[in-house]
Amino acid sequence: MSLQHFGKGALRTAKNYTKGYSHTQTKVRDATCNEPWPPSGKIMHELAQLSYNQEDFIEIMEILDKRLNDKGKNWKHVFKSLTVLDYLLHSGSENVILYCKENLYIIKTLREFQYIDEEGRDQGANVRQKAKDIVNLLQDDSRLREQRKSRAVMRERMSRGRSGYDL
Amino acid sequence: YPTRPVDKDKAEAELVVNIKKATNPDESAPKQKHVRKCIVYTWDYHSSISFWTGLRVQPILADEVQTFKALITVHKVLQEGHPVTIKEAHGQTGWLETCARAVGHDTARGYGTLIRTYVQFLLAKLRFHRLRPEFNGLFEYEEYVTLKGIDDPNEGYETISDLMGLQDQIDSFQRMVFAHFRNSSSNECRISALVPLVKESWGIYRFITSMLRAMHRRTNDIEALEPLRQRYSAQHYALRKFYYECSNLKYLTGLINVPKLGQEPPNLLDNGTA
Repeated sequence: MSLQHFGKGALRTAKNYTKGYSHTQTKVRDATCNEPWPPSGKIMHELAQLSYNQEDFIEIMEILDKRLNDKGKNWKHVFKSLTVLDYLLHSGSENVILYCKENLYIIKTLREFQYIDEEGRDQGANVRQKAKDIVNLLQDDSRLREQRKSRAVMRERMSRGRSGYDL
Repeated sequence: YPTRPVDKDKAEAELVVNIKKATNPDESAPKQKHVRKCIVYTWDYHSSISFWTGLRVQPILADEVQTFKALITVHKVLQEGHPVTIKEAHGQTGWLETCARAVGHDTARGYGTLIRTYVQFLLAKLRFHRLRPEFNGLFEYEEYVTLKGIDDPNEGYETISDLMGLQDQIDSFQRMVFAHFRNSSSNECRISALVPLVKESWGIYRFITSMLRAMHRRTNDIEALEPLRQRYSAQHYALRKFYYECSNLKYLTGLINVPKLGQEPPNLLDNGTA
């Protein structure tokens, strides 16, 4: 790993501290940071669990909202926030769905997100596609219900499998 | 106030900057990030008054590119802003007319005719929405509005005719935009006006299709709908050509998916989807 990445991570840790971000907010900021790797399944699962607690839910959405409205240069913030949001819609509390529906325009307007990087690559394309997918999902209640259900069944089965293995 | 975390004073100040940047004198597309902020503002505060005020105080009318970019911005905010934006826009028609009057006939960069036609189109769009407030800015398909129209066949016929009138205006405007392309430039500013036109024409097309289908299901008098079928078919071919030409503009296909229509218009007597 390059020193540059190390520097960024250290800076984020310092910012988390000086800006007084809570434990939950720090988690969201880490999950949606500017590093090139995607948010881990583990951290997204933790956030989904936290979203069932009202206080944590508000903190999570606050940071996600900031990240979603970030500028083009920080397209990774926007893209990863959409990734986290997508996960929360599938596994988080119902409040996430309500919140997203109420603020649908935030996601809808990202369907035309634009950012071309210094090397001429269209980094906005990922954001546009993800935003489209999420808008479509939010407008199709029966599909969303079904996907939430099958996700829950799968997790149930996996955790049962794991405990069986432990024995 | 919205459920998302916002700061009204900050939002007002930023809105002014966003309008200014969206309508700057560069001959390019109005930057989407600035247009987006204008759209988000109308949803956050359920008001577009500050948006219109912001446009009025900008010195844009002296410059044809700025005026054209302002019209694109207005069009997008009408399409995707909070529904109150369209209602409040009825009080702004005077300003739109001023935009058309302010521009000369033989302008250096050739936006004069485009501006006047754009204003005509936006005024027609606003007239449509005033008569039929149940439609949103992008004519996004909603079943209940369709059904509402066909309960009264005369009303439904009228609505479809009016939608088709709007579609014709989009078609002649888009052809004019293409006719004003210049070989010497990237044409980005002109092409960016096609983006809201593609979206709006697609919304209208889908609406007309499902509404005509529903009317055909309900009526015993298929003959009476013949004039609409003929016009529908002509519009299908025109739209197909429009989308085909758009699909060759790399700049545009990078921004939105351009729909692809079938060779022949869909059969209105079956129950398929558009």
